[in-house]
Amino acid sequence: MDRSGVKKRLLGLDREYGILLVIVAFIFTVPLWSRPIPGSVLHMDIVNIMCLAGTYACAVLGLNLLVGYAGQISLGHAAFFGIGAYTTAILCTRLTWYPTWLGVLSGMVLAGVIGWLVGVPVLRLKGHYLAMATLGLGEIAFILFTQLKWLTGGTVGVLNIPPLSVFGFAFDSDLKFYYLVWAVVALILLFSVNLIRSRVGRGLRALHSSEIAADAMGVPTAHYKIRVFVLSTVLAGLGGAFFAHFQRYINPETFILSLSILFVTMVVVGGMGDIWGGLVGVIFLAFLPPVIQALPEWIPGIPEGLTNFGNYQLILYGILLIVFMMFLPRGIAHGLERGAAFTNRRYRLLADHVKARKYE
Amino acid sequence: MNDDPVLLDIDGVTKRFGGLAALKDVSFTVSRGEIKALIGPNGAGKTTLFDVLTGILRPTTGRVALKGEIVLGLRPDQITDLGMIRTFQTIQLFEGMTVLENAMVGCHSRTSAGFVSCGFLMPWALGEEKLIRREATRTLEEVGLETRASEIGTNLPYGQQRMLELARALASQPDILLLDEPAAGLNQYETGELSGLLTRLRDKGLTILIVEHDMGLVMDISDEVVVLDYGEVIARGTPEVVQNDPRVIEAYLGIEAE
Repeated sequence: MDRSGVKKRLLGLDREYGILLVIVAFIFTVPLWSRPIPGSVLHMDIVNIMCLAGTYACAVLGLNLLVGYAGQISLGHAAFFGIGAYTTAILCTRLTWYPTWLGVLSGMVLAGVIGWLVGVPVLRLKGHYLAMATLGLGEIAFILFTQLKWLTGGTVGVLNIPPLSVFGFAFDSDLKFYYLVWAVVALILLFSVNLIRSRVGRGLRALHSSEIAADAMGVPTAHYKIRVFVLSTVLAGLGGAFFAHFQRYINPETFILSLSILFVTMVVVGGMGDIWGGLVGVIFLAFLPPVIQALPEWIPGIPEGLTNFGNYQLILYGILLIVFMMFLPRGIAHGLERGAAFTNRRYRLLADHVKARKYE
Repeated sequence: MNDDPVLLDIDGVTKRFGGLAALKDVSFTVSRGEIKALIGPNGAGKTTLFDVLTGILRPTTGRVALKGEIVLGLRPDQITDLGMIRTFQTIQLFEGMTVLENAMVGCHSRTSAGFVSCGFLMPWALGEEKLIRREATRTLEEVGLETRASEIGTNLPYGQQRMLELARALASQPDILLLDEPAAGLNQYETGELSGLLTRLRDKGLTILIVEHDMGLVMDISDEVVVLDYGEVIARGTPEVVQNDPRVIEAYLGIEAE
C-alpha cells in the first residue's frame, strides 16, 4: 500500500489508516440517514442490503489478498463460504445448546482446515490450471451440500437457524446485525492494511511479480501461497457463517458457481490488489440487483424480464469482468482516484488560463 | 566451521537434461573474501550451475556445501537463509514496488514475523519493520540509489535497475553473493562503478562468485577465474594464467591452439 515510499498522511494518520477511519465513520452513519422511503422509488432497504454486502465483504477482502496481492486465482470460494454457513447452521440447529458465536468460529476453523487440505496440493498449480482446479472444488462442494441429505438437508437446506448471539445479546434485527458485521469487516480491513504494509505483504506482492526472484530473495513462496489461501478460506467461512445467521435459512442454491464468480467480479471491479477496491466492488455489486429490480419504477416501459436478475446475472458479471479488464484493469477505486486527479488538473489549468486572461 | 577458509565447496556436480549433460563433474571451491569469476562461452553451463547452487535445479549427481553444510535438496529460500544469494541475468525486479520496497524484500531472510504478528501489529513485527527499513536504506546508499528510494523500481534506467538488484541481494547481508552477468548492458562508466563497488564489498569481507562476459571487468577484479566449456571446467587460476591458457583461447576463439 505504501507504494510511493513517501508517507502520505490523512487525518494525522498514515494514509491507509486515515482512509480506514473515514470509511468506518461513514459506515457507522449509514443507518442514521438511509431510511427506506415508502411509496417512492427509494424504497430499497439499504441497511438490509448492506448486511448482505457485509457478509460478502468478509469473503471478498480475503479473496483480494489471495488474487490481488499474491496473484493466485480461486474460482471456488463459494465452497468455503458454504462450509462456513453449513457448519454453524448444522451445529446450531442440531445442538440447541451450541453457542452461535462458537458456531461461527467452528465454521471459520472448518473452512480453514479444508482450505489447507485442498490448498497444499492445488496451489502447486498455476494460472489456468489453478483456476480449473478451484472451479472443480466449488462444484464438488455444491454436490456434497445437495447430496449429503442426512447432514445438510439436501435441496431444502437448513431452516430456522437462530440469530447470532454473543453472551446473551442477540443480533436479531437488521440494524444490530449491520453494526456487528461491519465492525468485523472494519477489523478485517485493519488486519489487511497491517499485513500488506509488512514484510509478509511485500513477500506476497513479490511472489506475484516473480516467483523465482521472490524465492531467491528468501521468500518461502510455497508456504506463503498456502497461508494466504488458508487465510482467505477462513474469511470466506466467516462470511458464510454470518450469512447463515443473517438469512436464518440456507440451501445449496446459494453456494453455486455464480457466487464464486460474483466474489471474483467484486475483486476485479473494485480493484485487484487494492484493499479499498475490494470494499467498493462489494458494495457496487451488492446494490446492483436491487437497483435493477427498481428500474421499471424509474423508467416506465422497461420489460418485466429485465428485472428478473437471477436469469442473467452470470451474463452481467461476465460483461462487467470483460469491460473492467479492458478499460479499468485496476478497478473502480483506482479509476475514481485517477478521475479526481484528472479533474483537479483540468481545473487548475482552467484557473491558470483565467488568471492569465485577467492580467493580459 | 567459521575458521574454514572454504566457504562454498562444489564437488563433482553433474546435471543432465535428458541426454544432454549441461554440467559434467564440475568441482571447485570459493574461499572466504575472494572474488571468483566463472567464465565460458554461451551455453557453457554457467547459469545452470547458479541454478543448481541456489536450489532452483537439482543436480543429477554431486555435492554442494556452504559453510560446511550440504545445501542440496534445500529450497531456494532456505539456501538464501543460509547466506547465499543471487542476482539474475535478466533483471527480475518486483513490479509495482518502489526502489525501497524492492530492497526491503531482500531483508526477508533475516526477519521472521509471520501473517498473524504482521496483521495484528505485534511489537516484534514493528521492531523488525524498523530494522528492515534501516537496512534497506543503508544498502541503497551503498549502491548510490538512496535518492530514488520512492520511485517504482522498474521505472529506473537500466543501469540503475541492475544496481537495485544488487542492493536487494545485499540487503540480506549474505556471506556469498552470486552475480549472473551484472555488467550486461551497462555502459563503460557504469561498469567502472560496478567494479569499484564489488572491490569495496570484497574488501569488507564479502565473498563473490561472478559470471561475466566483460573480460575487462573479470580480469580487473577477480582473484581467481574458473573457465567452463560444454559443462566442464577446462581451466582455473589467476586471471593472467587463464588468459594465456591455450584451451581457454581455443574455447573462446574456436581455433586450434598452437
